[in-house]
Amino acid sequence: MSDEARLLAELHAARALMRAPPPTPRVGHAALWAHATRAGGSPVDLAVVRALRTDPDATRRYRTLLAAQAIAHATLAAAASDGALLRRRVGPFALEILEGTPPLLILRGADTRPPRTIEAWRDDEAVRLDLPPPVEGAIVLALDSAVPEAEALGRMLRDPRCAVFLL
Amino acid sequence: MTGGYDERCAADFAAVGEGRDLSRADRAWLARVVTGAVRPNRDRPLWDLAHALAALAQATGPRDGRDLVTLALDPGLATAEACAARFSGSATADTRGLVLEGEAGWHTGWSGLARLLALGEFVLTAEDLGSFGTVTGWLDELAAAPDADGAAFLAKRLARHLSAYRNAHLPLAREERRFRALLGFLGGRRAFSDADILAFWQAEMASGERPGFRTVAEHFVTFEAGAHLVDGLDGLSSAASLDAHQGWEDRLDAALSDLTAAEPTATLAALLADWPEGPKILTGAEREDLADFLRLEPFHRTRPLTTLRAASFGRVQSGIANRLRRGTGGADIAERAACTEAESYAALTERAAALAAHLARMLRIAAALRILERDGLSEKTRAALDAAEADLRRVRRAGFEDRAGLTAGFAAAETALLRVAEETARLERALAGLARQHPPDAGFEADRAVFAEALSAAYAGEAAA
Repeated sequence: MSDEARLLAELHAARALMRAPPPTPRVGHAALWAHATRAGGSPVDLAVVRALRTDPDATRRYRTLLAAQAIAHATLAAAASDGALLRRRVGPFALEILEGTPPLLILRGADTRPPRTIEAWRDDEAVRLDLPPPVEGAIVLALDSAVPEAEALGRMLRDPRCAVFLL
Repeated sequence: MTGGYDERCAADFAAVGEGRDLSRADRAWLARVVTGAVRPNRDRPLWDLAHALAALAQATGPRDGRDLVTLALDPGLATAEACAARFSGSATADTRGLVLEGEAGWHTGWSGLARLLALGEFVLTAEDLGSFGTVTGWLDELAAAPDADGAAFLAKRLARHLSAYRNAHLPLAREERRFRALLGFLGGRRAFSDADILAFWQAEMASGERPGFRTVAEHFVTFEAGAHLVDGLDGLSSAASLDAHQGWEDRLDAALSDLTAAEPTATLAALLADWPEGPKILTGAEREDLADFLRLEPFHRTRPLTTLRAASFGRVQSGIANRLRRGTGGADIAERAACTEAESYAALTERAAALAAHLARMLRIAAALRILERDGLSEKTRAALDAAEADLRRVRRAGFEDRAGLTAGFAAAETALLRVAEETARLERALAGLARQHPPDAGFEADRAVFAEALSAAYAGEAAA
């Protein structure tokens, strides 16, 4: 069968696409990606940070980007906290908070490709911390209440609704 | 303009264009690749993209697919110059662009690479990131083995991916059917007249499809622009391999890009839609009138009769369609279909002339605001500018009383004003030429009988309900 009509239809659609009105401005994928892949301690784009706090669409897209490059991620805890001790699985990893002063975050299962960063999301609150290298198969991070990010991470991880990304 | 894509596709496409600030030509190329208007093989750009990513992986040694995603999403690699600056001198580059080790025949230039990366962003971010994780996983595999086999495998995956996307978001069947009908109607002819457009619309109305007259005219615009390109396509469709008919492809590619890149109505429509805030150089109603006259670019210059028909009876027909959608409001269907409310060609011609005169006046005012140093000018020019100054004081429109704001407003609108004024002047000349050949009143009455008959017959069911 002749391809002419098909090509004309495709050209027609291409012309129409070129004429479609420009979208309402929003934070671009590239800026969100740069934020999702940033190295610990590097400067952040404040416009992105603001959008992530106020714009659910930007947050959704950001978390999609984060999930795609995470070694493991979990949006909900499989098992709820028992109060004093929290355990949850994030992909192949077991994540545990050992209460004490300070509380300790222990991450096991990091044999082949240990994560270097943890990012937690609860509602529109997010926190990101670099992880130390594993020692004898376990990554241990002190959730020191003197460090605001660490304190926030501990608080958020105790909530089963908290999403966890291991990067 | 109606046309074969859904909102999701428009948003995905626009996000890439805006994010990378792509040139018009690159946007046009991407639009064609997305809709599939590439011959002889519409998967060729994906083959090139997969090979370019493999070559970049060979050159940059990514840790995993993430690093390739970073390259594809980087708006700093949106131009040939940027790509050349970043990658020339790398292991898999020659002086003209990228090559892929182990795939002797494959090569892309720097401008090609910039386009392919835009396509990469599109396939990654399509469906508002719906498949981002999947495509990133494919890039992980490529990063692990960036060779010719890996590239070929990725190319197949991307081709299937984009093909599924087209099935979901580019409903082309109706457009294709209409073009097939149009080709059948013309019976192999490439040239057509205003009478052909009307007769084809009548036939479509009688067949029960009931497309808008404006919609049908839009199809003729595409046909006029594309018909000479599709000649000889039959021989191409049998292309056995991706490399076959290279010469043909280059020729077609160049011609097809011209077609969409040189498509100026987008600019006109966009200019009118995004008219800068500020002094009321054009009111909302004037912009709507202009958009209505100029929507069938280039027919407002070349086919004034079809332009008048679309403006007059096309509007009647969209009124009927709107009324049917709403179910209520305004005149009833039978009354509308009789075209008693249709605007006469004489009135439309007069309105176009008034718009052209208004725009010419605004252009003179723009010149007066801009040219403040007049000593070296000729007597005649100075007099004209002085007259424009005097005229400016007579304009009663919002924002015209504040000189500083007015100067800034005109400066912001200058490009748009020049272009719209030029096209409106061409419309006015085309309409004046038509009026000299055919008395507008007689022509309008004859057309009204034709449109009233077609519309009344087509909407008889609803009119009686």
